[in-house]
Amino acid sequence: MSDQSAETGVTVPVAAEPDRVQRRIGIGFWLSISWIVLVVLVAVLAPWLPLKDPDANYIVSGTRPPYGPSWTHPFGTDQDARDLFSRVIFGARTSLIIGFVAISFGMIIGGGLGIIAGYYRKWVDRTISIVMLILLSFPALILAILITSLIDRGLFTISVTLGILAIAPVGRLARAATLSFADREFVTAARSLGASNGRIIIRELLPNVVIPMAALALLGMAVAIVAEGGLAFLGLSIEKGFTWGKLILYGAGARDLERAPWISFAPILVLFVTVLALNYAGDRIRDYFDVKEISL
Amino acid sequence: MNYLFQRLGMAVMLLLAVSALTFGGMNLLGDPLFNILGPVAADTSNPTSVAKIEAAKEKYYLDRPLPERYVRWLGDMVTGDFGVQFSSTGEPPVTNLLKERTPRTFQLLVLAQFMATAISIPWALIAAARVRRPTDRISTVTSFLLIALPNFALGIILKYLLGIKLGWFPLTYTASDPFFSRLHQLILPALTIALPAAAVYQRLLRTDLVTTLQEDFILMARSKGVPRRRVLVRHALRPSLFSFITVFGINTGALIGGSLIVETIFRVPGLGSAIVEAILREDFPVVLAIVMIATTTFVLVNIAVDLLYSVLDPRVRR
Repeated sequence: MSDQSAETGVTVPVAAEPDRVQRRIGIGFWLSISWIVLVVLVAVLAPWLPLKDPDANYIVSGTRPPYGPSWTHPFGTDQDARDLFSRVIFGARTSLIIGFVAISFGMIIGGGLGIIAGYYRKWVDRTISIVMLILLSFPALILAILITSLIDRGLFTISVTLGILAIAPVGRLARAATLSFADREFVTAARSLGASNGRIIIRELLPNVVIPMAALALLGMAVAIVAEGGLAFLGLSIEKGFTWGKLILYGAGARDLERAPWISFAPILVLFVTVLALNYAGDRIRDYFDVKEISL
Repeated sequence: MNYLFQRLGMAVMLLLAVSALTFGGMNLLGDPLFNILGPVAADTSNPTSVAKIEAAKEKYYLDRPLPERYVRWLGDMVTGDFGVQFSSTGEPPVTNLLKERTPRTFQLLVLAQFMATAISIPWALIAAARVRRPTDRISTVTSFLLIALPNFALGIILKYLLGIKLGWFPLTYTASDPFFSRLHQLILPALTIALPAAAVYQRLLRTDLVTTLQEDFILMARSKGVPRRRVLVRHALRPSLFSFITVFGINTGALIGGSLIVETIFRVPGLGSAIVEAILREDFPVVLAIVMIATTTFVLVNIAVDLLYSVLDPRVRR
C-alpha cells in the first residue's frame, strides 16, 4: 500500500495500478467445471449407479435413527434411516432440472426480448424495457410465491416461474450487448448486402450476444437452484419428490439440528460447493471475455 | 425538483401496474367466492347457500366487473384500508394483521441493513488499505464464499453454531417479550440477512475506494501530512460511497425476499409468515397488501437513494 518514494518521502496510500483483468482462465475454473460435470453426470446416471435406495429405511434393529456418518452411510441417515448420500444425489436430479429449465427459459425469452429491443429500438425497446422494469420491481421471491401459489407446485411450474425471474436480468444484458453491436460495421455490411432483419439478428448479432449470456447462464442456474431452496423453506417447493432445498429443510428443526446436524449439513455442503462452482465458473468466463458488469 | 416529480410519477405508474397485475392474477386464477365461503360456494342447489353466495357477492362486490372492483380496492387502499381478510372465522380488517406483523419485519430489515453497513465499511476500508496484500486476498475470498452461501444455509449454520452449540442467542422469537429481549432474539436472523449483504457491499466499496485512493486529492492530503487513517476515513470514503448506496437500495428488494425465508427459519411472525399463511388460505386481500407494502418500500428506498446522490456529490444536483 505505501510506496515510499525516495525523492519526496511521500507515502502514496495505495498502489497506483488498477485491478487487472486476468486473461488466463485459471485452474479454479477447470476445478469448478469438473465439479459441475461430476455432479451432472452422477445425477443423470444415478439410477444405474450402485447407490442405496433413497426411499428405503435402513433401520438397524435395536437402535433408533438418525445414524451418523459411517462407512455404510457416508453422509449418515435421516430420521427415517434413509441413506442421505443417495438422497443428496437423487435430490440433485430435481434441483438441476429446475435450475436448467429455469435458466433455459430465461435465456430464450429474456435473450430474445433483449435482442429485439436492442435491435429495433424506438417503441419496441421502450415497451420491452417497461415490462422488464415491472418484472424487476417485484421483489423476486414474492413474484415466485405468487405464481406458484396461483397455479400449482409441479416441477414444470416451479422451473418456469424461476425462469420468469431470469427474464429481466438476462434481457437487460442481451439488450445492452445488442446495442453495442448493432451499429458495428459487420451489421451494416450484412444489411447493405440485403440481409433481412431476422437473418441479421440470428447470423450476426446472436453469436456475439451468446458469450456474455453464457456467463450469466451459469450464475443464473446457481440463483435458480438457491431460489428453489428458498421456496422449499416457505413450503412452496415441488409437492412430489425431493430437492436439495427440501432435504436441508428436513433436518432444520432445532431438535434435529442439535442431535443430528448432518441431516441438514450434508445437502448444504453439496449445494454450497455446486453454487460456488457455478458462480466461480461464471465469473471467470465473464472476466475472460471481458464482459462489462451490465447487470446482476 | 422537476426530476423528483418525474421519479415519483414513474413510481406511481409502476405501483399501479404491479397492483393491477397482482389483483387481476389473483382474481382470475383464484376463486375469491370459494375463499370467503368455503365449500358453500359450490353448493348452488341449496337455497340458503344461494342466499349466502348472493349476500357475499353483494358485500364484496364480486358481481361487479373486475376493473370496477380494482378501482374500488385501489380507492380504499390509498386511504389506508386494505379491506377484510378472507376467512371462514370472520373478517377482521387486513390492516389489523399488518399493524401487528409489519413492525417485526421492518425491525428485522433495519437491524440487518444496519449490521451490514457496520460490518462492510470497516471491512472495505481495511481491505482497500492493504490492497492486493494477503489481508485483502483473504477478505476477497471470504466475501465470495459468503455471497455464494444461500441465506437459508447460512441461517441454519448460524442457528447451529451460535444458537445451539454456543447458546448465545435464543432460537425463536416471542412476541410477548419486552423490547430488548425481542431485539436480542432478532440478532441471529438479522445477522443471517446482514452477512451476505455486507459481503456484497464490501466488494463494491473496496473497488471504489481503490479507485478513489489513486486520485490527486488523496496524494495532496497525504503530502500535507494528513495521517493515512484519516485520509482513508475522512477524504476517501465519502466519494467512494456511490455504488454502495445504489446497491444498498437495489438490495432492499432482495432482502425483503430473504427476510421471508429467514423469518421462517427463526420463527419470527412477521410479514413473511403472514404472506405464506395467506397464500395457503388463498386470502387474496392479505397477499395483495403485503405485495404492495414490499413493492412500495422497494420503490421508495430507490428514490431515496437517488436523492442521497445529490447530497453526497454536488455535481449530480440539477
